[in-house]
Amino acid sequence: MGRQYEIPVGAQHISLLEPLHFKFTTENEKIIRTDANVYYVHRGIEQACCSKFKFRQVSFVVGRVCGLCSISHTTAYSQVAEKLLKLDIPKRAKYLRMLVIELDRIHSHLLCLSHVAENSGFEALFMKTMQYREFSMELLEAVCGNRIQYDFSIVGGVARDLKPETGQLILQRLKNFMPQLEELVGIYQHNRTLSLKNKGVGVLSKDDALRLNVVGPFARAAGLAVDVRNETEDLLPWKEVGFEMITDTAGDVHARNMIRLREIYISIRIIQNIINGLPESALLTETKAFPDGEATVRLEAPRGELFYYAKGNKTQVLERLKIKAPTFSNVAGMVHAFTGNEYGSAAAIIASYDPCLSCTAR
Amino acid sequence: MNLAPYRKKSPWILHYNAGGCNGCDIEILACLSPKYDIERFGMINTGNPKQSDILLVTGPVTKRSRERLVEIYAQMPEPKVVISCGACASTGGVFRGMYNCEGGVDQFIPVDVYVCGCGTRPEQIIDGVVQALAILEKKTKGLEESVKLKKEAVKEGHQLNRRHIADEIKPVLT
Amino acid sequence: MKKIETNLADLKKDIGAFYKPELHHFIVMNAVQCGDKMEVQWFFNDYAYPGETTCFYALISPEEEVPGMKDIVASAWVAEAELVDLMNIKVENTMKGFVLEPDFESGPLLKKK
Ligand code: SF4
Repeated sequence: MGRQYEIPVGAQHISLLEPLHFKFTTENEKIIRTDANVYYVHRGIEQACCSKFKFRQVSFVVGRVCGLCSISHTTAYSQVAEKLLKLDIPKRAKYLRMLVIELDRIHSHLLCLSHVAENSGFEALFMKTMQYREFSMELLEAVCGNRIQYDFSIVGGVARDLKPETGQLILQRLKNFMPQLEELVGIYQHNRTLSLKNKGVGVLSKDDALRLNVVGPFARAAGLAVDVRNETEDLLPWKEVGFEMITDTAGDVHARNMIRLREIYISIRIIQNIINGLPESALLTETKAFPDGEATVRLEAPRGELFYYAKGNKTQVLERLKIKAPTFSNVAGMVHAFTGNEYGSAAAIIASYDPCLSCTAR
Repeated sequence: MNLAPYRKKSPWILHYNAGGCNGCDIEILACLSPKYDIERFGMINTGNPKQSDILLVTGPVTKRSRERLVEIYAQMPEPKVVISCGACASTGGVFRGMYNCEGGVDQFIPVDVYVCGCGTRPEQIIDGVVQALAILEKKTKGLEESVKLKKEAVKEGHQLNRRHIADEIKPVLT
Repeated sequence: MKKIETNLADLKKDIGAFYKPELHHFIVMNAVQCGDKMEVQWFFNDYAYPGETTCFYALISPEEEVPGMKDIVASAWVAEAELVDLMNIKVENTMKGFVLEPDFESGPLLKKK
């Protein structure tokens, strides 16, 4: 038995976007145990949502839970509030929500991919992916008016309409993006240096994924077919717009990269279908009711299943709001999948989980 | 070695998220990417506080990250400039008054440039950083001045004795 | 959402009989204040019948200790550690301090009387 060393990573580290602390216990460079401290960014949003803000304002507050998937949070909250109000929203609003969620997914996946490339030591690919990602930010700005905090979904519908010119712009830009995406797939799949760093690293088996209740691309890379878009049809009609499940079997960093890249193809198809078949209707359903009862909502954010629980008490202020973010489910799997890997690959593995700690900690 | 000209031409940036929503952080990342390309000002992102000149902070300072923030600030060598990125780093923003938030970076460390917006646009961040460069230059000058002796050199024959400076010892009246 | 009531004594038996790792997905554990009682909830989802959320709940008083689910649901410790800090309930084998700093008043999510 070799000597054991403890190596801390974080809370401030060049390879981390957010404060996150891992303590690796290593033996001969192999990680044998990991401790995680993920609550650096706990702010207390749940409490403020149930005391300080009225239920119509909360949809703007929960957007600030996470800047990467703020549209998923606002949409999930709007849906749970609509369930409490027993409200049906117009079809056009549903389609526009899906449009923005998918655009958001493209930018989030590309950000994660570039981050994996950077942490694997491939700086040029990081720059390339970031450059190709800019188009999605510009499109989001064209659709919602802001680059990151969209505030697009509100209780009862959406806040802005999609102009036909913007729709055409999106289609045009997506067409330009296609060859760039092919190029990225080629690099991520076949580049020898990146493969050496990524293949067989950070493996999570399917059994472990099942046992640890992992969600999102992390689980799909391990062969577990979980995707909320495949399940619920009542809130957002995903299958109608051409959703398709994508899974892999390897469960390593490379498989997660490939899952993300292939999901971008699906997202592009969904966006094209939405713009080509956007139904005409109002954008907002008005109501004077107050939230009452209990409801839960599940939604597929870029990182996996997002879960909202809300309880109302016929007043302006909610009784309880519980947010379960995707990374929260993955924490147990994340800690597990480090075991047996070299310490040198830890940075790439962390990036490939795509952890979102401001979601986890709220 | 005189580091001042290099500091102005190539300031190194340290980025710390003190509890924000990631929105401003990805915009800082976007600044590093080819479209906005902050490297044309000679800036690169470092992970080491001991090598950096500019600290970019995002987020309202949460209870658990406040000590790390002060620690990082203390580890940076003088002269240093702090930029608070985003509404919530500047004032607390939407998180103001939440139970685990302190409301703003300037409660803990002195801030030189405030960048507004939730989330900040990359152009605004670049603007803030360029303003920070001017402040950095001023601070560098100030630092050098304080090292030089401002007073005139002491002339021969005028050397003061300690006794002269100290108060005269008065006899204690009994 | 299907709600099934249990109590603390039968909780482990009920969930142990229900939960199969390859069939069910454990979503999260939650607690809601109902008067001076506390409603503790466990949410599960079925892989085979998607969209069906099952909720086990038990009404407890704040002093009672909730049994830990770690040996049945391997990933439940994260949710348990969070609830211990935020709602000030007691869970078997779980310490405070995962979420909040030690110098903090406990149970910030509880409604002030
Ligand atoms: S200012 Fe807004 S976008 Fe930026 S970190 Fe704070 S909440 Fe997020």
